[in-house]
Amino acid sequence: MMIELTSTPIIIMVILGIAGMIIPVINVVRKEQGSSTFYGLIAFGALLLSLGYVIYRFYTDSVADAAIFSSDVLVDDGFGSFFAIAMLIVSIMAVAGSFNYMRDKSNPAIYFSLILLSSIGMVLIAFSTDLVMLFVAWELMSIPTYILAGYNKKDPSSNEAAIKYFLFGALSSGIIIYGISLAYGITGSTNIGDVIYGFSNLSPDMLPIGLLAVGMFIAGFGFKMGLVPFHMWLPDTYEGAPTPITALLAAGTKKAGFAAALRVVIMGAAALNLDWTLALGVIAIMTMTIGNVAAIMQKNLTRMLAYSSIGHAGYILIGISLAPFSGLGLQASLFHILNHAVMKGAAFIAIAGIVTTLGIVHLDKIKGLGRKMPITAFGLVISLLALAGVPPLNGFWSKLMLFGSAIDATSVVWWAPWLAIAGVLNSALSLAYYGWIIRKMYFEGETEKRVKEPASIVGVMIFSVIFMVTIGVYPEPIIQFVEMITPSMTAVMP
Amino acid sequence: MADFFGIPVSELNVWLIWILPFAAAMIIPAVGKFSKLSTGRVAVAFALMSAISAATLFPMALEAHEIHHQVMWIDAIGLKAGVLADPLSIIMANVVGWISFLIMVYSTGYMKGDKDITRFWFWMMFFIGSMQLIILSDNLLQVFFGWEGVGLASYALISFWYRDKKKDHVGQEGRSALGVMEYFSPTHAGMKAFIMTKVGDVMMLSGMLLLFLFAGTFGFKELVSDTAWAVEMSAQGLLVPAFVLLFGGAMGKSAQFPLNEWLLEAMTGPTAVSALIHAATMVKAGVFLVARIGPIVFALAAAGILADQFFEIIAWVGAITALLLATQGMVNPEIKKVLAYSTGSQIGYMMLALGVAGLSQHYVDGYTAGFFHLISHAMFKASLFMAAGSLLHVVGSRFMTDMGGLKKQMKKTYAFMWAAGLGLMGAPFITTGFWSKDAIFAAVYEADSSWALPLFLIAVLTAVITAFYTTRMIGMVFFGKNSKHIEKMESEGNHIHEAPRSMWIPYGILAVLTIGIGLIGLSAEEGIHHLFGEYLEHSFGIYVSHEAASTEFLGGLNPVALGASLVAFATGFGLGYIFYIGRWVDPAKFVNSNIFFYSMHKLFLNRWYLNAFVYWGFVVAPLWMARGIWRYFERTAIDTGMNIGFEKAVGWSARVVQGTQTGVSQSYLYIFGAGLLFVVLILLL
Repeated sequence: MMIELTSTPIIIMVILGIAGMIIPVINVVRKEQGSSTFYGLIAFGALLLSLGYVIYRFYTDSVADAAIFSSDVLVDDGFGSFFAIAMLIVSIMAVAGSFNYMRDKSNPAIYFSLILLSSIGMVLIAFSTDLVMLFVAWELMSIPTYILAGYNKKDPSSNEAAIKYFLFGALSSGIIIYGISLAYGITGSTNIGDVIYGFSNLSPDMLPIGLLAVGMFIAGFGFKMGLVPFHMWLPDTYEGAPTPITALLAAGTKKAGFAAALRVVIMGAAALNLDWTLALGVIAIMTMTIGNVAAIMQKNLTRMLAYSSIGHAGYILIGISLAPFSGLGLQASLFHILNHAVMKGAAFIAIAGIVTTLGIVHLDKIKGLGRKMPITAFGLVISLLALAGVPPLNGFWSKLMLFGSAIDATSVVWWAPWLAIAGVLNSALSLAYYGWIIRKMYFEGETEKRVKEPASIVGVMIFSVIFMVTIGVYPEPIIQFVEMITPSMTAVMP
Repeated sequence: MADFFGIPVSELNVWLIWILPFAAAMIIPAVGKFSKLSTGRVAVAFALMSAISAATLFPMALEAHEIHHQVMWIDAIGLKAGVLADPLSIIMANVVGWISFLIMVYSTGYMKGDKDITRFWFWMMFFIGSMQLIILSDNLLQVFFGWEGVGLASYALISFWYRDKKKDHVGQEGRSALGVMEYFSPTHAGMKAFIMTKVGDVMMLSGMLLLFLFAGTFGFKELVSDTAWAVEMSAQGLLVPAFVLLFGGAMGKSAQFPLNEWLLEAMTGPTAVSALIHAATMVKAGVFLVARIGPIVFALAAAGILADQFFEIIAWVGAITALLLATQGMVNPEIKKVLAYSTGSQIGYMMLALGVAGLSQHYVDGYTAGFFHLISHAMFKASLFMAAGSLLHVVGSRFMTDMGGLKKQMKKTYAFMWAAGLGLMGAPFITTGFWSKDAIFAAVYEADSSWALPLFLIAVLTAVITAFYTTRMIGMVFFGKNSKHIEKMESEGNHIHEAPRSMWIPYGILAVLTIGIGLIGLSAEEGIHHLFGEYLEHSFGIYVSHEAASTEFLGGLNPVALGASLVAFATGFGLGYIFYIGRWVDPAKFVNSNIFFYSMHKLFLNRWYLNAFVYWGFVVAPLWMARGIWRYFERTAIDTGMNIGFEKAVGWSARVVQGTQTGVSQSYLYIFGAGLLFVVLILLL
C-alpha cells in the first residue's frame, strides 16, 4: 500500500518545499536586498497553509486515529498530525517573531527558507514509521537549525552556539545511526513496526544488543529533548542563537525529539519488556530538578528560559515513563507537549520582541517593562504563569494530568508518587524565577514611557494569550483530541 | 426553529442575557481607544439589548414554563455549564436588566467628563454581566463565578475614584468611635467591601463543596430531582450547616448582620454605582440566592427532612439587620449613607420574609412577599439613589445639612423623591412599598413558629423607623431654608438648577412606576403569588392551597398586618413631619434634652459600635499579632534560621549545577558519553 499523494505529510512537504526553494530564487532574481518582510510573509503564508491543511484533514476525518506502525515509510495518522500542529504553530510564531528581528540583517531570504526546510523535517519526523526515513527527516530538521543558530555570524556567542550545537548534533546523529544499524542488524528491517516485532521475539543472547540500541536511541533523541545529562549544549546554544530561532529550538525541534522518542524508544522498549520506566523516571526527576535549580540563579532571560525548558522536558517525561501503568500518562505528556510548544514559544518570542526593540536580555534591565511594552510584557506574564501551571491557564491542566497520572500509577509502581512530588516541588521552585521576572517588569522601575511594540510580536502575543486562556478555561476539546490520538500501549506490550 | 452552533434560538437568547454585558465589557476598552464618548453609547446599547432579551422571556414566565439548557464544560469531572430560565430567574433578570439599563442612561449624564470613563463603563457592564450570570445559572459553581465577578466589580467601582480626593471620602472627618476613625477613603472602602464579602464567599464555597461531596452535583435541578443526598446529609447532621454556610455567602453579599458594615462605606463610589449595587446587582444577589436554595430545602420536608433551623436563622438575621440598620439611618447626616442604611434594612425585610416562609405551611406566602418587596425596593431605591446623585451633583456636598430648602429650585427631583420616598415609607394603598411590606407583615404574623410574634414586632418597629428617617431625609433636603453652603454657592454665582434630562428621566420613570404599580399593587401581588404558587408546585412539588385567600377582608389581607402597616406609617411619618417638615421641634435640642435619647442617638451614630468592634477584632488585633509574630518568631526562627538556610542550600546547589556548565565542549562531550553509559547501565539493571 503506497501512501496517498494527498496525505498530510506529502502535501506539507510540497507546500513548504516549494516555498522554501522559491524564496532564495526570488532573492536572486530580485537582486535587491532588504525587505525581509516579503520573504517572511511567503514563509508565514506557506506555514499557515500547511497548518490549515493538517486541521482540514483532521476535521474531515481523513486521517487514522493513531496508527503508529505501517508498512510504508510514512503514515498519515492522528499522532503525527498532532505533532505537526504543535510544530507548525511554533514555526509560525518563530517566523512572525523574526519579521522585526531580521529587518536590518543580511540574507533574510536564506533565513526564512531554512526555517521552512527545518519545519519539513520536524513534520516528517512525526509521521515517520521507518528508521531510515526518521533519520533523514531528523537531519533535514537539524542541519538548517545549525546554520540558523549561527546566523549572527559576527557575534561570537552566536558562533559558539552554532559550534556547540553542531558538535552535539553530529555526535547524537552518529549515536542514532549506530542504534539504527544495531536494530537492523538484529531484526533485519528498518521498518519501526518490524523492528519492534523483532525486538519482542529476540533470542536471549541478542538481548544486550537490543538494550544497547534502545540506550542509544534514548541518548540520541535525548539530546534534542534536552534531557539531563544530554543537555549541556542547550543553555549555551539557546543563549547565543537568534532569539526567534531559540523559540524554534525550544518549542519546535525539542518536540520532534519527543515525537521520535515516542515512536521508537517507548514502543521498542515496551516490546523488549524492559524495566526501562525506572530509567526514564530517574532521568525525569534529574532533568526537572537540574533545569529548575539552575534557572534560579540566571540573570539572562534567554538562559533562564533555556533551563526552564530543560525542566519542562522533565515534566513531559513523567507521563512517558508512566505510560505502561496509567492510561493518563501518555495523554498528559502529549497535552503538555502542545501546551509547552505554545507557552515556551510565546515566552521566547516575547523576549525576541524585547531584544529587538530595547536590546536587553538582562534580568536587571527589564525594570518597568510592563509600562514600556505593555502587550509584550502581558503576553510574557501569561506565558510564564502558564509555564508555572497557574490556573486557569492551559499549563495547569496538563500538569494536573501529569501529576494525576503519577498518583494513578501509585498502585502499580512504588516510585510513581515521587515523580508527582518532585513535579509539584519543582513547579513551586519554578515560580521563584518566573515571579522574579514578573516582579521586575511590573513592580520596579520609575515611570517609563511606552515604546512602539512590533506588530508581528503583538500578533503572536495576542494569539498565545487567547490560546492559553481559552484552553485554560475550557480544556475539554484538547483533552478529547489528545485522547483520540494517543497510541494504545497494549498494542505492543507483550 | 433556527439554531446557532446547535443551540436553539430561545435557549441562545437566555445565554445572551448575561453574555451581552460581558461582551460589551470586552469591547468597551477597544472603543475607548477611538472615542471616549462612544463607550457610554455602547454600554447603554448592550444593556438595552440584554434587557430586551430578558423581556422576551416574560410570556414564558407567565405560563410558568422554563428553559433549561446545558453544555459540556469539563467532561473529565462531569461538569456542565447551563442556564436555567424559570419564573424566578426571568422576573429577577428583568428587574436587574431594566433597572440597570436606566442606571446606565443616568450614568451618561452623571459621569459626563470623567477622564476614566472607559474604566467606569467596563466595570459597570462587567457588574451587570456577573449579576445576570448569577441569576441565570443552573448550578452553584457557575453562580459562584458570577458571585466573585460581582465582588470584583464592586471592589473596582467602590474605589473607582482611587486618587482618594477629600470630596470622595465618606464619613465625617475627625469623628471616631472607640478610637476607630469613621472616615473612609474610596480605596479603603473598596478593600473593606471586598474583604468583608469575601468572608461570606469563603463560607459559601465551603457550603457548596460540602453539598457537592454528598450530592455529587452543583445543579439546582439535580438537587431537587434526587434527594438521596439530603437523607445522607441530615443523617450526619450536616444538612443545616451546609445550607447555613451557603447562606453565609448571601449574608456577605447582601450586607446582613454581622457582615453589614461594608455597605455604608460602599458609598464612596459614584452614585450611579451605589444605585446599581443597592437596587439591581450586588446586594440583591444574596436575596436571590436564598430564593434559589430556599425552595430546595423546603421541598425536602416532603422527604421527611426538616430544616427549620435554617429558616429560623435566615429570619432572625434578616430581622436583626432590618432593625439595626434602620436605627442608624435615623441619625446619619449623609444622604447616601441614610439610603445605604435603608437598603441594608430593607434587604433584612426580604430575608425575614424568605425565612419565615420556610416556617409556615404556606411557603409561597412569605416567598412571594420577599420577592415582591425585592422588586418594589429595586424600583424605589434605584430612583432614590439616582435622585440623591442629582442632589450631590448639583449641591456638591454629601451632607444633608448642606442642602435644605431645595424644593423650589429642584422641583422635579423634589416630586420624584416624594414618590419614591413614599414607596420606601410604605404609604398606604398607593405605593408598591406598602403592599410588599404589608405582605411581609402578614407572612411573619401568620408563620407557624413561636418566633412569629417577636419577629413581627421587630418588623413593625422597623417600619416606624423607616417612615421616620425617610421623612427626615426629605425634610432636611427640601424643606426649611437654604443652608449656608447653598447660600455661599449662590453668592459665588453657582446657580442651583435642576439636573440634566438624561439624569432625571430615569429616576422619574422609576418613581412613577412606584406609584403606578402601587395603585394596582394588590392585583400585582396576587399575580406574583399565583405565578410563584404554580412555580413552586411545578418545580419543587411544594403544595400550595389556592383557595386560601380571596374570601377574607380586602381579598386576603391580614387585618392585623394591615393595621400595623397603617399605624407604623402614620407614626413614623408624623414624627418625621413634626421634626423636619413642620420643624415645630428642634431635633438637636430634643436629643440633648434627655439622657436616654442622647445615649441612643450616640449609639446609633456610632453604628452600635459594631464597626469599631469589627476593626478592633479583625484589623487592629491581627495587626498587633502580626507585628508580634514578625518580631519574635519570623525575624528569629524564619529569617535567620529557615530563610538563610534555604537560600544557602538553593544557592549552593544552583552554583554546583552551574559549575558543571563550564562552557568547554570537551567536558560536555564527556558528560554526554557518561550519560549514555549511565542509561545503558540502568537498562541492564
